[in-house]
Amino acid sequence: MQYLLTEQQAARQKEFKAFVSENVLPFAEEWDREQKIPECAISKLTKSGYLGCSLPLQYGGQGWDTVTFGLLNEALGRGSSSLTGVLTVQTMVSKALLKWGSPEQIQKWIPLLAKGEIIGAFALTEPEAGSDIQSLVTEFTQSDDDFLVLHGTKKWITTGQFASLFLVFGKLGDRSLACLVPRETPGLEVEPIHDLMGFRAAGLAKLVFNNVKVPTANIVGKPGFALSHVAPVGLHYGRISTACSALGLLRGCFEESVAWASTRKIGNQTVGDLGMIRSLIAEMGTALEAGTFLCHSACRAADESLPEAFEKAVMAKYFTSRAAVRSASDAVQIRGAAGCHGSSPVARFYRDAKIMEIIEGTTQIHQHLLGGMFLRKARCSAH
Amino acid sequence: MNSTYTAEASKVRETVTSFLQSSISIANLNDDDHLFESGIVNSLFAVQLMTFLEKNFAIEIGMDDLDIENFKSVNATTAFVMRKKDSQGAGATN
Repeated sequence: MQYLLTEQQAARQKEFKAFVSENVLPFAEEWDREQKIPECAISKLTKSGYLGCSLPLQYGGQGWDTVTFGLLNEALGRGSSSLTGVLTVQTMVSKALLKWGSPEQIQKWIPLLAKGEIIGAFALTEPEAGSDIQSLVTEFTQSDDDFLVLHGTKKWITTGQFASLFLVFGKLGDRSLACLVPRETPGLEVEPIHDLMGFRAAGLAKLVFNNVKVPTANIVGKPGFALSHVAPVGLHYGRISTACSALGLLRGCFEESVAWASTRKIGNQTVGDLGMIRSLIAEMGTALEAGTFLCHSACRAADESLPEAFEKAVMAKYFTSRAAVRSASDAVQIRGAAGCHGSSPVARFYRDAKIMEIIEGTTQIHQHLLGGMFLRKARCSAH
Repeated sequence: MNSTYTAEASKVRETVTSFLQSSISIANLNDDDHLFESGIVNSLFAVQLMTFLEKNFAIEIGMDDLDIENFKSVNATTAFVMRKKDSQGAGATN
């Protein structure tokens, strides 16, 4: 796919691959086993400017385009889905705030997020509201003109264990609301979530808000528009990040499988000489090519501010996450017993891939959106 | 309202209508049909409409523009775009 990239994008792609080889690949298994990414690893992301890679230069970001952002997510995903999760939610919070924040909020928080001095978390999902975000029950009530009181629970919040700033979604009466809540605000309790099947080092947490007092100046956007306008901007970049991260995981499955199939002997042949193994590798390699084009298309559409960018991101995430699940399963199968052990990264890929089908919009929600889109387009063409 | 303004507003209305007809499944869309009524649009529609308006009319939609009255129908959206273009001194439509 090199011909799709500019010279600068191609150079960055090489840089990202080198960064991951040195700083992620040797440690990803340990992070998964310990269910924790050490601070020094996140610090390396920060020092490289990666956490603010898509944020404007004027705020201390790198000002990179979405294609480059996608390439970074792919490279990181090849190494560790958990680490990519940090970049995913940092970008979700930052982009939503950049678009809908007040000038004061932007001046206060965006430089800190861009430079990685604080980590953000996107607090949308609740114990009883995942796909159905209209059913949020986290409640804001007006205390006085200057303050709101926040009460409720959020769950499965990526980086919740160590984030300093939460973008929290809830309802003010019957109107949706998004609000910035710093970690140290009294009444906020963070409960780590451990023992996930995958994404184990992404720092997931449950957040409990017990009558937390937040300034009305922390409202992002306006009441009534949090779920229609604020969340979708964040989720758009979440989908792009997850699509590209899943593509990186898929690439890992492919590379591990080709390496194994090329060298593992079976009689006088290698495993790769067997037709049934070749068919699995053919599926994997073709999915990798197709996923690369879908991710690139989604990133380009975002860079060109096209309205169809949102649906392209849904399509890319839908495709690569499902392909990652299939490919990880096949990669374990190709490897045999060794693929079921932690000594092989494909075992971790298998567990992480399943998470990718669920976060940032489940496969089924995306099928609903995309099916509706294709039918609508067909109806419009017929008229 | 002078004829230049009326002609420009008609062009904006035509462009907005064309986009909406390709984005939502509603036969015979009328200029005052409420776009955000239940079941007509999906969860991506609001941001797609925002992105379309920003790109096609060279306007920037910010926090202060978040008002359902600005986007609820073809006529409302057209009026909103014309107000933004006037206040921003934006260029002609694509």
